[in-house]
Amino acid sequence: MKALVIIKGREAAAKLCSAARKNADEVVLVVIGDTPLPGAVADKTLHIALPTGSVYDDAADTIKAIYDAETPDFVYLEATRSLKVITGKLAAHANTSAIVDVLELADDVASNRYFGGIGQRSLKATGAKIYTISVSDLPDGAASGTDLVEEASWVAPEKPLELVETRPIEKSGTDLFKAETVISVGRGFAEEAQLELAYALRDKLGAGLGCTRPLTEGVDWLPRDIYIGVTGLQLAPTTYIAIGISGQMQHMVGCNRATTLLAINKDKNAPIFKQCDVGLIGDIKEVLPALIEAL
Amino acid sequence: MKIVVSFKVVPDDQDIQIAGDGSLDYSKAHQVVSSYDLNAIEAAAQLAASNDASLVGMSVGKAAIDDSKLKKNVLARGVDELFMTADDACADMDAYSTASALASLLTKIDSYDLIICGDGSADNYAQQVDVQLAAKLDLPVVSSVTRLSVENGVLKAERTLEDVVEVVRVALPAVVSVTPDAALPRIPGMKDIVSAGKKPSDVSAAVAAYTSGIEVLDCRAPKQAERRGEIIDLSEDGAVARFAAAIKAAQ
Ligand SMILES: Cc1cc2nc3c(=O)[nH]c(=O)nc-3n(C[C@H](O)[C@H](O)[C@H](O)COP(=O)(O)OP(=O)(O)OC[C@H]3O[C@@H](n4cnc5c(N)ncnc54)[C@H](O)[C@@H]3O)c2cc1C
Repeated sequence: MKALVIIKGREAAAKLCSAARKNADEVVLVVIGDTPLPGAVADKTLHIALPTGSVYDDAADTIKAIYDAETPDFVYLEATRSLKVITGKLAAHANTSAIVDVLELADDVASNRYFGGIGQRSLKATGAKIYTISVSDLPDGAASGTDLVEEASWVAPEKPLELVETRPIEKSGTDLFKAETVISVGRGFAEEAQLELAYALRDKLGAGLGCTRPLTEGVDWLPRDIYIGVTGLQLAPTTYIAIGISGQMQHMVGCNRATTLLAINKDKNAPIFKQCDVGLIGDIKEVLPALIEAL
Repeated sequence: MKIVVSFKVVPDDQDIQIAGDGSLDYSKAHQVVSSYDLNAIEAAAQLAASNDASLVGMSVGKAAIDDSKLKKNVLARGVDELFMTADDACADMDAYSTASALASLLTKIDSYDLIICGDGSADNYAQQVDVQLAAKLDLPVVSSVTRLSVENGVLKAERTLEDVVEVVRVALPAVVSVTPDAALPRIPGMKDIVSAGKKPSDVSAAVAAYTSGIEVLDCRAPKQAERRGEIIDLSEDGAVARFAAAIKAAQ
């Protein structure tokens, strides 16, 4: 069996290649652009140099050519936004659809989440086997291989995107994976100023602060890299305190591995109360000042 | 200029029940527009308004998506006209088949400059239909767009990726997918809903049979951790003290 592995970040190379190695005796790795080349993790590494002014996505035509030349039995792509575009183009090229965000894969049966984690499906590709896998869903693995690197020749897309500007996204610098206690805020916070109450509670508890996805989109109250859930961070802290969060599955997938889950919500029928260890029915405005006082 | 916005109709996930055997029961769930597609519709409506463009909505899905309340809801959001393929042959399609079905539906719309999709559907969130549709139509695609504008037939889009924001330009026609950041959905007023009833919609059966490249072997709710479920009401004596003690005990 032959695997083609396509990655964006360096961390993904070893993880995806060692996962691929379990099912393949030959692993070919594709690295795009200026990602530092990983050590010996595959039997061969193909490097695609990105022409100046090109976006990652536009390596798709080169990757299609590599796919045709290598004829792999299956393809793993790191689940990032750019590589998902490449995934779609490659799957279209192979007249099929990719199975995305795979959690487990054995004997050609892949599982992934359905409706944000309400369900989990077992899926099988009937045509070409193309999967995306998120690095955070893979264990560390010891990959093996050679240092052989070949330069792939660039296949120019017919209708390229013109890259006008690139700006790095400022990261919040908080590592919620390290926090034993995480407090998390949701749309129950009616205005940005009310977050001061959450900051005060965070400081009192020495906790990390996370949030639901809506607080990072449309409104810019909190940085995107601290939102928790199926499309964000998936944490397993000792203590998780959800404040003004309804408890939709898309969010709960990111916190339901907490040892103890506590919730504050003014609606006694909020779904989160069915998924917590201890819940307090009350308004943020009254509860948080009293709680900070009591701790 | 003509803009097309593509949306998926899904069962409302808040009303999906888990049956005794762990399978998902949709019988109480209404058909709704997938939540991030509402953001796409809004982004499309705002772009159409600022460019004096017309806006067409399109969707493919099972026969039940031909629902008058749902159609009105879409047409009340700044969409001028609606095209749908509603046929059980189009139930649970994969991205490849969805793109084929959307491409056939598009042949009814004589010309278009821009197709806007959402960030991902509430059920699969595969983020593949935008790309597959672009591939089918041989158009460029820009995903993860948080801001967009059109000038002289050229799209300028800001895409927010994991680590960087990219500003890209591409000549129309093109396909884009927008994240919820691009626009927050409006709440249609009574007037919008009334006038939506008078707008044209074209609903028809599938013109082809579709096969999926992904076979679904099983779908089940994962087991949830057992939780104590101790609920305290703020009005109870010592409620806050008890909650504070629970936090300390947990830490
Ligand atoms: C494809 C897809 C992916 C998604 N991915 C994610 C994800 O990764 N992470 C995520 O978080 N979401 C995600 N979502 C969104 C998710 O479905 C929910 O919409 C979101 O989690 C709800 O956030 P919330 O609980 O903050 O807001 P709401 O659901 O609006 O809940 C607010 C809660 O606050 C309570 N409240 C209001 N006022 C007060 C008050 N004064 N005091 C106390 N309580 C109050 C209300 O009773 C309510 O329960 C996704 C959605 C889709 C469609």
